Order: sequence, then C-alpha cells, then structure tokens
Amino acid sequence: MSAIANDEFAKRMMLLAQPAEQFKPTATYDPDGDCIEFLAKPDAFFAERVDDLVTVYYSQETGEVIGSLIKDVSAFCRDMFERFPGFRIEIQAGRVSLQHIFLARLWTERFARDDLTTLTYRKLIEVSGETPIEGELSCV
Amino acid sequence: MADNRDSRRKYLALQAVNPVDGSLCEVMISYDRMRAAGRRSMGHAKECGIIVPAILQHPTAVFEGLRQDEDEDRRGYGWRCYCGIPKHAYHSDGTARSPYPGQVYLVFVNDEHVAYNWRWKKAADDDPNLPVGHEARFRKRLL
Repeated sequence: MSAIANDEFAKRMMLLAQPAEQFKPTATYDPDGDCIEFLAKPDAFFAERVDDLVTVYYSQETGEVIGSLIKDVSAFCRDMFERFPGFRIEIQAGRVSLQHIFLARLWTERFARDDLTTLTYRKLIEVSGETPIEGELSCV
Repeated sequence: MADNRDSRRKYLALQAVNPVDGSLCEVMISYDRMRAAGRRSMGHAKECGIIVPAILQHPTAVFEGLRQDEDEDRRGYGWRCYCGIPKHAYHSDGTARSPYPGQVYLVFVNDEHVAYNWRWKKAADDDPNLPVGHEARFRKRLL
C-alpha cells in the first residue's frame, strides 16, 4: 500500500465531516487499540489519565467531562469474567454498556467514596447515560 | 492488541517518520476510525485530516512502550506515541485557532503500525514539547 498525500487525506476527511449540530453521543470499540472511545459532546478535548483503565476527556471550551477512553478492554473483560462470572450476563451479543464497565471498575477497586477517581467514574456514569457501544468486543 | 488485525477493516496509509533511523515509513489508519472522527464535528475531522499526518511526519518526540501501572505490559515494544505541537487547533465548527497553550498533541500507533487514537494532552512543566508524566508513562524515547 502506498501512502496517500496529505492534502488528499485531508480532502477525504472533509468529505466524511458532519457539522457539530448533527452530533450524537457515541461510544466506539476500536479493535486496533483494543479500546472504547466515548464522546458526549462535539467539542475539542484534552485527555487526562485516571488509572490504567480509563483516560477522561475534558472539553477545551468548558473544562467539563465530555468523554473517555477505556483501554485494554479485552484484558479488563477477561479479568472480570474470572473474578465475577456474572459480569458475562451484562454482555449481550458482544455488547456491554459503558455504565456497566465504569460500575464494575468502581465495585472491584478500593477507591474512597470522595476520592477524585471515584468522582470521575461517577461523572462518567452520569454522562455516558444509555449511549450504546458501536462495534463488537473481541473478548466475548 | 486484542486480536490480529481484522481483515475486514480497510486502511489508508500515511507517511510517518521512522524514529529509529529518521527514514520515512507508513502508518495506517482505518476508514472506520476516519468515519468515527468525521461524524463528531468539522473540528474533529480536521484534527484527523490535518493534525494527525503533521504529527506523524514532524514529531518533536516519539516514545515506545505504552507502560501500564504495575504490569510488564503487553503494549510494549512497537506501540508508539508520536508527540508534537501542530500549527493550529480547531474548534468544533472547524475554524482554526492557535494551539492550546501548555498542551501537546499525541498520536498513538500500535505494533502493526496503525494509528488508533489521537488527542491533546497537558505538556510537561519542564518541556512544552513533551506530555506530562512521560517519564512514567513510556518505556523509552526513540526520538
């Protein structure tokens, strides 16, 4: 495969671009990174690592939590299946809700109630709502 | 990576600097990832379409080995992070602005040379070209 020229690549991306007004919250599993990326708003964002599972996205405009990256999803699911076989019930047809992943993490780690990590997970649970994950997880 | 690369996925190749010898190499990006970025906003489309190639071709630093906390991680050799400060950042409507002060742009590439994630991150206090916490986060610096 030969590399595409930068201007041609940029043109192709512009053809795929949709205005921010049409944005809907999305969560997408990416098998190349074995990660789930969730975004609740179309704002530009910067990222901060929460722990080895989650990186949280903050809006560049407002500073509020608007998304997250869940890393190493396969290893997390395998670990959960070993420790809590019932977690498998939450996965249907290769899909699991973001809320379940965040909750599972909260329930299995010894975070203090008012720990910043706990508060960040709670915020992510609130923000992620019922957003479905696109793409089938390879760990199930 | 979870499994071998999904053969059903389609990819485009971009030019990138090979941090080992300074030559040019290819880094792939999946159409699925491009579509996902495009669906978000004009600004996200421009980050993918303009900033990502620029960082891959003109990085200020490249790290290898995305280290995880207490693990000798499986994302070790071959998983790279390209860092740089692009000429512009983009609002969600696609209008350009100056790069965010005190932030650096990162492009993550897996061991199969696929760019799978990119984003702004706070820069280190002692070097605005490097991400904060780079000493602990990566195994080694290649460039």
